[in-house]
Amino acid sequence: MAEIEINSLMKQFGAFQAVNDVNITVNNGEFVFLLGPSGCGKTTTLRMIAGLEMPSSGRIAIGGRNVTFLRPRHRNVGMVFQDYGLYRHLTVFGNIAYPLEVRRLQRAEIARKVNAVARTMQITEVLQRKPDQLSAGQLQRVAIARMLVRDADVFLMDEPMSHLDAQLRGQMRAELRHIQKSVGVTTIFVTHDQLEAMTMADRIIVMKDGEMLQFATPREIFERPATEFVATFVGEPQMNVFDVRITRIEGKVAAMTEDFVIPLDGTWVQEKGVENLVGQGVRLGVRPEHISVSDKADGSHGVAAELYSFEPTGAENLYVLQCGGVTITTRSSTTETAHLDKGEGSRLYAGFDPNWIYLFEPGSGRTIAQATASRSENEEM
Amino acid sequence: MKKLSSMPESPSAPPVQRNWWVYVVLILVCVVNFLPYLRVVMTGFMDGATSSSATPIWFFTPSLEAFDYLIFEKGIMKNFFNSVVVSLASTFFSVTIGMFCAYALARYDFPGRDDVSFWVLTNRMMPPVAVLIPIFVTFQTAGLLDTLLGLIILYTAMQLPFVVWMLTGYFRDIPRRYEESAMVDGDTWFAAFRKVTLPIMAPSITATAIFVMILSWNEFAFATFLTSNQAKTMPPAIMAYSIGADIKWNVLGAAVVLITAPLILFVLLLQRQLISGLSQGVVRK
Repeated sequence: MAEIEINSLMKQFGAFQAVNDVNITVNNGEFVFLLGPSGCGKTTTLRMIAGLEMPSSGRIAIGGRNVTFLRPRHRNVGMVFQDYGLYRHLTVFGNIAYPLEVRRLQRAEIARKVNAVARTMQITEVLQRKPDQLSAGQLQRVAIARMLVRDADVFLMDEPMSHLDAQLRGQMRAELRHIQKSVGVTTIFVTHDQLEAMTMADRIIVMKDGEMLQFATPREIFERPATEFVATFVGEPQMNVFDVRITRIEGKVAAMTEDFVIPLDGTWVQEKGVENLVGQGVRLGVRPEHISVSDKADGSHGVAAELYSFEPTGAENLYVLQCGGVTITTRSSTTETAHLDKGEGSRLYAGFDPNWIYLFEPGSGRTIAQATASRSENEEM
Repeated sequence: MKKLSSMPESPSAPPVQRNWWVYVVLILVCVVNFLPYLRVVMTGFMDGATSSSATPIWFFTPSLEAFDYLIFEKGIMKNFFNSVVVSLASTFFSVTIGMFCAYALARYDFPGRDDVSFWVLTNRMMPPVAVLIPIFVTFQTAGLLDTLLGLIILYTAMQLPFVVWMLTGYFRDIPRRYEESAMVDGDTWFAAFRKVTLPIMAPSITATAIFVMILSWNEFAFATFLTSNQAKTMPPAIMAYSIGADIKWNVLGAAVVLITAPLILFVLLLQRQLISGLSQGVVRK
């Protein structure tokens, strides 16, 4: 068990900057996720921690020991690969025992450890089989068992669940989180699935184009995204973001598109200095759950919209609305919206919750103003 | 294999179509290919008079006269032994060296990699006759004429391109993460290569080795020109019995039996490895 410290880590492949200035400190026993779209450098970062890729510059320390340029075998990390990396010429037992055999443990000790970990992962029945006789879920368990069997300082997981079907993935999420917490080994998990990261992580690192955009708890990432990219990458369906112009209407500051006006919260406007933006174009963001839909226009439902598509998901209904030139998605509970028209083209009215409006800088995507209702855990904004 | 009770039963395989005419064609091809060889083997077991009779004789009392002549009077077992040594040694060296070359070509990206692999192939394009004289002179200078060592070196060099090209493809098909996973588990690169990559590659390496062995065993041109007495291998030795006005057919037949028997036994014993090795990488999971 150990903490991980990464300072200004860089990796170039030729002219391509795969990882650019990554700084991470992971506490002992923490479950940290590297989240980002494919090609964002998250896997490269993980491979550099494992020692499978050497950094162009920077420093990596595990448990206070500088391991930046050490070979993988000197780092004492356990790893699960995307397609498991199981040896097809060995049985499941042989696969799990492999790291122990490398360390020349006693035969009885190996058998004891393998059986113990096989019980934890519920794969005792398949120990004598070869990997090609296992299902995807079992392969996954074997790969995790092989990582768990040794007393590694750090666990690294490279998209280990991407080959599982949705149901199994849901099951595995809870199980993996439980195992990680009971074993208590510092773990770094790479994924492009925001749901995985949100549900399992202690903290999430969002990466894009080799750069770290934000490193915070799931709630912080969700409620106080550092950039427009983070805001739209996390959350399902994703945050609605569109161009608005900040104007003053009858003395009040509001956001205006070509087709409708969104009133803004007065105290928030003052607090965040939105007044200074009057006359400027910004990007306005609001999550689907913070837009309510009604069949009548009233004070809180002022935006006329046409229903583009209706998507019931069971407990919740998604309405995709066309408000002039802007398409927005809303999410509300089925009971609340049961009475609304569901036919495409119906006339509906949308209302934006003024407490949950974000403003982003066009171009850079930096967050100008976090939503009023969002609470920061370290009150830095 | 015991099935888990919770595992759903997979549906039975679709019925295999059995086309009888496929077997007719196969048997026909086998007979056409095998009959001449059968006749040669039969000739080898005839005595001198039977084998040289004008009308073919199909039923006769087997005789070991020809084998007796070849083995005890002509000492052909010495050539046989030379062939065994040369082909085994050259196979071993070319496969061992070629394996590492192929690994490097498959795994590492270095400047000029494609040029190197193409250059390796061009070595095989040269017809042996074209380089016979330079090699003869080189061997003469180096004192390698008529030595087993000389032939081993030459055959190793000749078979290397073949080994490299075959194995590069197979190595490419093995995902790198097998080794990476072993390295993270605590192995050195070489241990990972030996314990993980090689076992997975074993069928392909065996298949390649069998091919190389057959090529070396049958090599004729260089063996004829570079050996005379001490290091003469089977192919040039047997050649001697098919030249001349008075060909002893039974002796020639016996010689053919001696040169082909090891190969046939060898392939029969290893045919399973051969087939699985050749088909490796064809079916992707």
